[in-house]
Amino acid sequence: MRRLFLRNDFSGYPLRKDFNMDPERNMYSTEDDIEIDTTTEWYLTDSGDLKSVSHSLFTDDDFVVNIGPQHPSTHGVLRLQTILDGETVKHIYPHLGYIHRGIEKLCENFTYPQTLALTDRMNYLSAMMHRHALVGVIEEGMGIELSDRIMYIRTIMDELQRIDNHLLYTACCAQDLGALTAFLYGMRDREHVLNVMEETTGGRLIQNYYRIGGLQADIDPNFVSNVKQLCKYLRPMVQEYLDVFGDNVITHKRFEGIGTMNEADCINYGVTGPAGRASGWKNDVRKYHPYAVYDKVDFEEITLTHGDSMDRYYCHIQEIYQSLNIIEQLIDNIPTGEFYLKQKPIIKVPEGQWYFSVEGASGEFGVYLDSRGDKSAYRMKFRPMGLTLVGAMDKMLRGQKIADLVTTGAALDFVIPDIDR
Amino acid sequence: MFDFSIVAKWFDNLLRVTCGLGDFWVILIECVLVGLAILLAYALLAIVLIFMERKVCAYFQCRIGPVRVGWWGTLQVLADVLKMLVKEIFVVDKADKLLYYLAPFLVIVASVGTFSFLPWNKGAEILDFNVGIFLVTAISSIGVVGIFIAGWASNNKYSVLSAMRGAVQMISYELSLGLCIISAVILTGTMQISGIVEAQTGPWQWLIFQGHIPAVLAFIVFCVAGNAEANRGPFDLAEAESELTAGYHTEYSGMGFGFYYLAEYLNLFVVSGLAATVFLGGWAPINIGIEGFDTVMNYIPGILWFLGKTFFVVFLLMWIRWTFPRLRVDQILNLEWKFLMPLSLIILVLMTICVAFNWTFTIV
Amino acid sequence: MENKLSYFGEVREALKTLSIGLKTTIKEFFTSKSTEQYPENRKTTLHIAKRHRGRLVFKRDENENYKCVACLMCEKACPNGTIRIMHEMITDPETGKKKRQLIDYEYDLGDCMFCELCVNACNFDAIEFTNDFENAVFDRSRLILHLDKEVYRGGSLPEVIEGGANWEIGTFNTGTKTK
Repeated sequence: MRRLFLRNDFSGYPLRKDFNMDPERNMYSTEDDIEIDTTTEWYLTDSGDLKSVSHSLFTDDDFVVNIGPQHPSTHGVLRLQTILDGETVKHIYPHLGYIHRGIEKLCENFTYPQTLALTDRMNYLSAMMHRHALVGVIEEGMGIELSDRIMYIRTIMDELQRIDNHLLYTACCAQDLGALTAFLYGMRDREHVLNVMEETTGGRLIQNYYRIGGLQADIDPNFVSNVKQLCKYLRPMVQEYLDVFGDNVITHKRFEGIGTMNEADCINYGVTGPAGRASGWKNDVRKYHPYAVYDKVDFEEITLTHGDSMDRYYCHIQEIYQSLNIIEQLIDNIPTGEFYLKQKPIIKVPEGQWYFSVEGASGEFGVYLDSRGDKSAYRMKFRPMGLTLVGAMDKMLRGQKIADLVTTGAALDFVIPDIDR
Repeated sequence: MFDFSIVAKWFDNLLRVTCGLGDFWVILIECVLVGLAILLAYALLAIVLIFMERKVCAYFQCRIGPVRVGWWGTLQVLADVLKMLVKEIFVVDKADKLLYYLAPFLVIVASVGTFSFLPWNKGAEILDFNVGIFLVTAISSIGVVGIFIAGWASNNKYSVLSAMRGAVQMISYELSLGLCIISAVILTGTMQISGIVEAQTGPWQWLIFQGHIPAVLAFIVFCVAGNAEANRGPFDLAEAESELTAGYHTEYSGMGFGFYYLAEYLNLFVVSGLAATVFLGGWAPINIGIEGFDTVMNYIPGILWFLGKTFFVVFLLMWIRWTFPRLRVDQILNLEWKFLMPLSLIILVLMTICVAFNWTFTIV
Repeated sequence: MENKLSYFGEVREALKTLSIGLKTTIKEFFTSKSTEQYPENRKTTLHIAKRHRGRLVFKRDENENYKCVACLMCEKACPNGTIRIMHEMITDPETGKKKRQLIDYEYDLGDCMFCELCVNACNFDAIEFTNDFENAVFDRSRLILHLDKEVYRGGSLPEVIEGGANWEIGTFNTGTKTK
């Protein structure tokens, strides 16, 4: 038992309603955060007493290497306390919270529209999907019926964002394996996807496109032709990543059998998204709890069998094709209609609890909303995509090489701001 | 073909006869001048290579590389060198000071040492022992010690891991490298570098033509092993920046780091130069047995031939480096011991058979 | 790979994939590059999406009058207090009605996170984002802008306010000369 996001010397539990929020009492400490090398296990004795026992995280003989917080291949400030035996990984303790911003707590004090500004900053590669989940849950609470045009555009944007994420993913996989050239090919083509999105949304990383009751702005006049051209351009390019990196024998040697997790474990650890689907777990939210117009489009849920890093990579690659399919089905048929349904200036959600989940680029992203009828949420809980992936890393990597830690991390596709929230 | 030894002899005579200096002074002056020439060439080539690497890598990656400093970015490397020279050299707390300072020098010594063996032109081999090529491999091994010491002395866990990797890798690949050289030695019948090049003058006499199949294979193996030896390309796992930040030179700044950087690029040049010398005929021009063509080719100075071939091999190695992902440490050893080692042994046997039965390709 | 290949089969397969990789990179070596030369192209081939959120400005009509009535909706909508509005109540001498009058509209560009909530909140269509992105200054205090005091005329790059040069999906404007 230790604090997941906050410092060890933090006192109190900020998400409790009786937490004293006085800034004077919550000054940021400049003292060293003394890290304890033990972990406490609590248990009940037969007589009903609560007893604790302390376990040491590692022995004196263990070679402990901190991968991160500043490390090129953790894709952010994640710290993996790794215990090594030579080059072999014995154990990994992930330490989180280096960019914990307390988004859930902030959401309790913000009005509903203001919370929208925060979601894009979680997993910035799934900015659209995150916002989709948040506006989805609020709209569900308020009982807003969206027009078809809004839902079509949201679906297209979600898929464009997924392509953007997957391109960056394939590129970063290559980069973590030292193939910088393949990395830049991915980044180059991601640029085109971003250009298309920017013309409409005005943002590249932080999109700010969905709002409660519709969209920020209508699609720009060239959007349809641009998207079509993009789809035409991207298909052969995906093959190029495979040529230069994905099908390469070195990549296969590096990825195959690395970070394997079988279907049962994936379910146990909640490894959703492409990482879970690579082991055969059918968990695509788009298929099983369709939102927007996913029930109207024809696409395939990619599931593979091995559950290793190679299959995760291929899963992403094939999902790019599927996303292109979805976009091509929708882009010619965007119905006319309102792009925004006018809402009251002050948005209030009636009392109740709602949960809305979307298929983020690297897993299921859900938002739980507990409303007491105010203009801000009583409790807003996000289910991040990456937290479960990082939690599963220890299980995946025991007994493998330290270089595999990097590849597994790359193939899992997590983004730290999303984990830390 | 212009023979550089004429110049050397003339200069020697100038000192001895015209100036009337004794043996000691003559040798001293000559050594100093040659040493200066080596270091100058070393520094200049490093700059050229770094610039080339940045441009070539940029072009492979759909970029245009440095373009701001100087015309087409030509002064970028000089600016970098200047920056590196003025940077503070700091020592890590609890580092082993002596070894920490010593390590970059070992690496640079190994690099300069092997560099001096390259045959620049006819009669312009600086070090030309009768066991020359053998000595090159011996000197290049000093570099491993430098890397290992650097990793150990840095007091950094990443560096230690990297040092172990580097040592394991370089020691293993030295075997294939040596075996490939030996197969070339079998063909030419000499270990002296000038002799090896001399044996490749004449029509279709480059070793890669002369020794046909085994020589081509040996050339490929040599390039792969040489790439690993220079710690580059898919074999750069000693500095694997995505795993070990910068590996053994993580804790070096300023010129300490600069030395590693220099040595890395010059090792690339040395490996390519050796490949060009041993397999592509060094300064020997391409001759095809037609007199007109051969005469024209022979007019081109040997140094151009040598540099041309070397930069060709450098380009090949860069192409490889900027295409492939990095291997893992056990896979590197697998590749060496399960594939390259047996292959180079087979090459050795093949080459011996070819030479013994006189199946080499010669037009005489 | 399901089928176990023989030793030589493996080598052959490996060499095949490696050569495909080499072929791809050498092809890219000779194709056109993707670097856009920013400072050189800023007046020629630069394209910035019209909707890009660079900074907040007041919309003004042809007489350079703004529409802001100091209703404070944007100030309340802003999640991180970027906008601070000073206003006073004045009485119209003719009608005798009390009316808000804007004194100062302070917008801190350094704090802004470009979420466009202020624009959404505005009922008078008084503010908008422009794609003027060259906002770097040496002193943080110069990022505090007073939107009612300045008359925005396109910032440092009035040419790109409508999007700038044309651009096409799948290509980059690598040149620095206008086509």
